Amino acid sequence: MRPPIPPISPRKSQYGIDPSLVKKRVSELPGMTSVLLKELFPDLPEVIYPSERGIAAVRRATEEALKKVDMSMIKPEHSVNILASHHGFTLLGGEPYAEMLKTLKDVIQARTGCKNIRLRAGVGLRFRETEEYIKRYGLDKHFEGKAIGVAPIDEGIPIKTEIGTLYGIKKIYDADWIVHAHNSDVREVHFHRQVDRAVKPFGMSYARIETRSTYHQNLGPRAANFTARAIFDSPFVQSKFAFASFLTVTPNGIVGVDADNDLYALNDRITILGCRYYGKMMMLFGEIDECIAALDFPCPVVYVFSAGVIYANFAGANTDLYDLDMPLPAYTWYTEAFYGKNGKPLLGEIPSLNPAIKMCVHNYAWTGYPSAFFSEHIPTVVVGYEQAELFNRDPQNLNYMKHAVVAETTEAAMEFAYRVTGTRKVLIFDGAIGGINVSEPLAEFLLKKAPEVNERVESELLPKWLRQRGVDLLELKKCTA
Amino acid sequence: MKVVNLLALVDREKCRGCKTCERVCPVLAIKVVDRKAVVDAEKCRGCAACEQRCPYYAISMVKREEPVVVSVEVSAVDYTKVEELCRRAKLHPEQIICYCTATRAEEVAAAILQGASSPEDISLRTGVRTGCKVECIQPILRLLEVAGIKPEPPKGGWQWYGRTPTVWEIPDEVKKKYARRGFYFDEDIKLLDRVATAPLQERSDS
Ligand code: SF4
Ligand code: SF4
Repeated sequence: MRPPIPPISPRKSQYGIDPSLVKKRVSELPGMTSVLLKELFPDLPEVIYPSERGIAAVRRATEEALKKVDMSMIKPEHSVNILASHHGFTLLGGEPYAEMLKTLKDVIQARTGCKNIRLRAGVGLRFRETEEYIKRYGLDKHFEGKAIGVAPIDEGIPIKTEIGTLYGIKKIYDADWIVHAHNSDVREVHFHRQVDRAVKPFGMSYARIETRSTYHQNLGPRAANFTARAIFDSPFVQSKFAFASFLTVTPNGIVGVDADNDLYALNDRITILGCRYYGKMMMLFGEIDECIAALDFPCPVVYVFSAGVIYANFAGANTDLYDLDMPLPAYTWYTEAFYGKNGKPLLGEIPSLNPAIKMCVHNYAWTGYPSAFFSEHIPTVVVGYEQAELFNRDPQNLNYMKHAVVAETTEAAMEFAYRVTGTRKVLIFDGAIGGINVSEPLAEFLLKKAPEVNERVESELLPKWLRQRGVDLLELKKCTA
Repeated sequence: MKVVNLLALVDREKCRGCKTCERVCPVLAIKVVDRKAVVDAEKCRGCAACEQRCPYYAISMVKREEPVVVSVEVSAVDYTKVEELCRRAKLHPEQIICYCTATRAEEVAAAILQGASSPEDISLRTGVRTGCKVECIQPILRLLEVAGIKPEPPKGGWQWYGRTPTVWEIPDEVKKKYARRGFYFDEDIKLLDRVATAPLQERSDS
């Protein structure tokens, strides 16, 4: 069996415990191994990062992708906002996304003569998160002081759309042109269901609270995605939109950069990527019959990931998140909302959280996202009193520790989990690059199951998923060719 | 319901009186007086919006010595009215509308029936919108609307701007135009209707 892959290091952040308090990573414990994703799914594309070419490969891919983009609308006297989102900075250590952002500025400046190029980086529910990244990756210097983080409670701007008025963040749109700089990593499939994934930030990290609440409370679990499209299609946003540039990502790394003046064309391409490669990982994880989920990554509980699958999606892996005929995943905010006072769902057909997760060992994960639903429904052991206290001080997580217990060390937490659950299968969400860190019994299990999952997704599920999203199957054939 | 265990503390040396905190506070508990921000400790719901947005890092969140429990007693009002208000807003009374505090629609409805007439007032009484500060503004506005209350956003503030569309209001031509792109409007309407009309699990007055 292979040795474990070094996990992503803990990061200093106001949302997590000090890295010095993370004394042990779960992958360092006895019995842990790794599986390369290419061993599971040999058809995964080759990656440009990580590779021996280093970060320069991302710069080169960005420059190459931008060659086919029309920038003639940007004049030297204009202003441009490059729009970024927090999530990109959590991918493979964050450098690839930061490098794409820097390259975008350099190319736009060189091609158009425009000098007033700013970075506006939106956030999820941790309002200073991108501020931290801007400093960490030297983006403030690269953008000559014109790089800021923006939050959904900042001053807003009304945007008239086909369905009525929605609201954006004023500073996102305070330039002549906007450039949408994002990535194709799927992350919250429970929310977006891979519908208009490329458009989502217009209804989320670039949007005000009114809009985000529309998505999560007013439209329903599948109609929600229309929020972003409504904003993006509005005459106001269309009058400012120049082009989009995306890091294209698969569970095993960065496969390239895709840029286009037509966001919907780009969206169709990344829909195929997302459904095909992440779909396989999710279906494979859905096969797991029992396990201990170990969280060990510098981001909030729901977002820690393993092979591109976030914990929130593993918690729903007992259902097919890509199947739009299924209205409610086991976890999404609509589902969480629909648990009544006796602790049971209000409708009989609401699926329970993935029963394969026998226990969650929270070795290292951040605050800044309401996560009590998870500790309430999945037995959870948090490592270290400092981490427990951090959750008790987070306005979004005042109930998290109500349901979780504390272990003093990683070893003690895992011992407890082994003893109580009786399983030796461990899936570690530590962002390992190119593979997954797991216990030996789980490695064997996954290797055995993968070929069948691969076949099922290719022949049966992928065509259905794409049909449900109106994505042309011919496009898929072109990609396959 | 929220157990408020934090309090905003202003460093007067660092504060430059820019009023950002005043514009984002969901309960209007912080105000700039003589060019310095001042926190009303009784009103502060410990949401950290001000701390997270102060451009000069002049605010920190400190633990309260005595946590304050903020909640509205649902059983103190006629539950038939609570239920009616929620169902008219197309919400199930037991539906959670604030994920951070696990506050249910019935508590917000009860707050309105007890006289709360603005999102600020509702947040003050129930603690909703003082966790993530993002996701629960719309159900609050929907409940106020069906109660016949039309609140005005705080003057000069960025707390909230207005109610936005619901799935029941999506025009037919929009539904038709995008029918093949995976949005499932009509199916979601059916689902949400079924949730809103589902039986109660537990009446708060029983
Ligand atoms: S946001 Fe900060 S600097 Fe501005 S008034 Fe408030 S405390 Fe003072
Ligand atoms: S309620 Fe929130 S925004 Fe208002 S003073 Fe307290 S912590 Fe600051």
